[in-house]
Amino acid sequence: MARTISFSKALNEAMMQEMERDDSVFILGEDVAKMGGDFGITSGIWDRWPDRAFDTALSESAITGLSCGASVCGLRPVAELMFADFITVCYDQLVNNAAKLNYMYQGEASAQMVVRAVTGGGIRCAYHHSQCIEPWLMNIPGLVIVAPATPYEAKGLLVASIRNNNPVVFLEHKHLYNVKGEVPEELYEIPLYEAHVAREGADITIVAAMSMLKFAHKAADEMAAKGVSVEIINPRTIFPLDKETIKKSVAKTGRLVVVQEGPKVMGYGAEIGAMLGEELFEYLKAPIKRVTSLDTPVPFAPGMEDYVLPHYEDVITACNEVMAY
Amino acid sequence: MSLSKEHLLKVYEDMLLIRRFEEEVEVYAKNGTIPGFIHLSIGQEAAQAGVVDVLKDTDYKFPDHRGHGAIVLSSKPEERKRCMSEIFAKATGINGGRGGSMHVHDLSVRNMGFNGIQGSTVVTALGTAFNSVYRKNDDVTVVFMGDGTLGEGTCHESLNMSATWKLPLIYVLINNQYAISTHYTEAHPQKQLSTWGLGYEVPSMTIDGNDIEEVIEVTQQAVDRARRGEGPTLIEMMSYRWQGHFSGDPAAYRPDGELEAWKEKDPLKITKQRLQENHGVSDAEIEAISERVETEIAEYVKFSLESPVPKPEDAVKYVYTDREVEGR
Repeated sequence: MARTISFSKALNEAMMQEMERDDSVFILGEDVAKMGGDFGITSGIWDRWPDRAFDTALSESAITGLSCGASVCGLRPVAELMFADFITVCYDQLVNNAAKLNYMYQGEASAQMVVRAVTGGGIRCAYHHSQCIEPWLMNIPGLVIVAPATPYEAKGLLVASIRNNNPVVFLEHKHLYNVKGEVPEELYEIPLYEAHVAREGADITIVAAMSMLKFAHKAADEMAAKGVSVEIINPRTIFPLDKETIKKSVAKTGRLVVVQEGPKVMGYGAEIGAMLGEELFEYLKAPIKRVTSLDTPVPFAPGMEDYVLPHYEDVITACNEVMAY
Repeated sequence: MSLSKEHLLKVYEDMLLIRRFEEEVEVYAKNGTIPGFIHLSIGQEAAQAGVVDVLKDTDYKFPDHRGHGAIVLSSKPEERKRCMSEIFAKATGINGGRGGSMHVHDLSVRNMGFNGIQGSTVVTALGTAFNSVYRKNDDVTVVFMGDGTLGEGTCHESLNMSATWKLPLIYVLINNQYAISTHYTEAHPQKQLSTWGLGYEVPSMTIDGNDIEEVIEVTQQAVDRARRGEGPTLIEMMSYRWQGHFSGDPAAYRPDGELEAWKEKDPLKITKQRLQENHGVSDAEIEAISERVETEIAEYVKFSLESPVPKPEDAVKYVYTDREVEGR
């Protein structure tokens, strides 16, 4: 039965219910046990399972390394990176180890682990606590990057990620934590590697992940008032990307606007743009537009941060431009 | 501790198998049959053979990048030729030719393989050791590392976590003196690297890594402690690699006479001497061991040379557990 709960609660519920179902699942990270996580996402787990929730030293390499080792023994670690930005100090374990283990072990064992990483800007915490890190991981074959945008997706995708046998970096945008939505009480999975058509339309395709989905919906409403029909694709899994769903949509609309929170260079927008240029050139009715952050670190002062992050007005401008071309 | 005659004969044969394995690998690396580069462990046989001798098949082993010896001895006898054919990049290789010298693993005996990045397995090994605690069994984990490995920050994280959580993890630090060309005393302030463990309250010691009896005794104590749930141990085993860092490295950075001095401490020579002097082993018995090893190694080489190469298109297999990657 569906209730209205927050994105945070949906994540918590996914972990609790999976731990209830499968005793190979455990959680570890900095302050995830007794305190329940810096953002409270793991609250209540240690109270219930004190032997399956572990507070660690500030040792991201040890956290992710331990997860790799434990997962090839058949356990299912769910590690938390308090801020996704900290991934740089355990990058080796994810890129050179987790992503290669199934290949190395030829399918006999794999890094069946989830690294939950708190991502994104807008909380006035400057450049080491605000970055969108998915481009740092998008050319690592063997890794999976999952990026929910709604409470329903948060639960269903986290459950699927825990059950998946590949290493999953699960991005949780901090601006979504308090967003509420309908979430079934029972366990369910949303399949990985499948993008979601969040709204059907005929004239423009907007691809938007995580917190950017709200810009897409708002823009679709605004454009609809002007008689322009927008289709919205939410990738859900950012890597490997569901190219077919995006291609199908753009083949229909002929126009693409990608909205991504991170810097413009080499984000998912770059990959989608290149892919469509290669495979769908003749269908395009207008140049592809990307609405992104500026190519700067994320600054602290609110006015500066707002200046750098993507602006809603830019989405409308991009939509108008692709229609006018 | 002195080993029984039978035990010492067994580990002598193990060490000779490593020596001859490495010598053959060197021949085929130098003549171009083996692609890429390889790191040979000639001179370090006692540390590898002694540690593996103490372990069960269900204990987790993380060999280092100079770890052919530990790899081969961990494998079941019938699988050992596949360790060599892996190094020859053949389809029959224990990893189907995907890994090569630096990534030979065999999960059936919990040889978890090396990773190619120094200091990486030091934290991965936390996970297998953690698994034993989580599942409440007495399997231990041994992670082999070198003097150079200790420069990596992960060693701090690993020692700190294993000590705090009392994980059944044994750090076997084979100090062969050099990280490529840099002597360990030029990269670390300590005279002995085992002192690293003391700051983490990890029992730590430096031993003669060329004395297989000492290696076995000290490793056994560490393994027993770990099985009892008393936590990690760091064992620094002093040794020396006779070759350069990789096969073909002339090792011009070593002072004159150093190699010759260490060859006097050849673990095989020392063990053979003990067998003959303390246990009355005859030349004929030693010769019989050599012949067995030669037959064995000749079979590995023949198998490796005759095995087919892997299908190139298999390169796209096993990237993910549940989806295909496009081929050409």
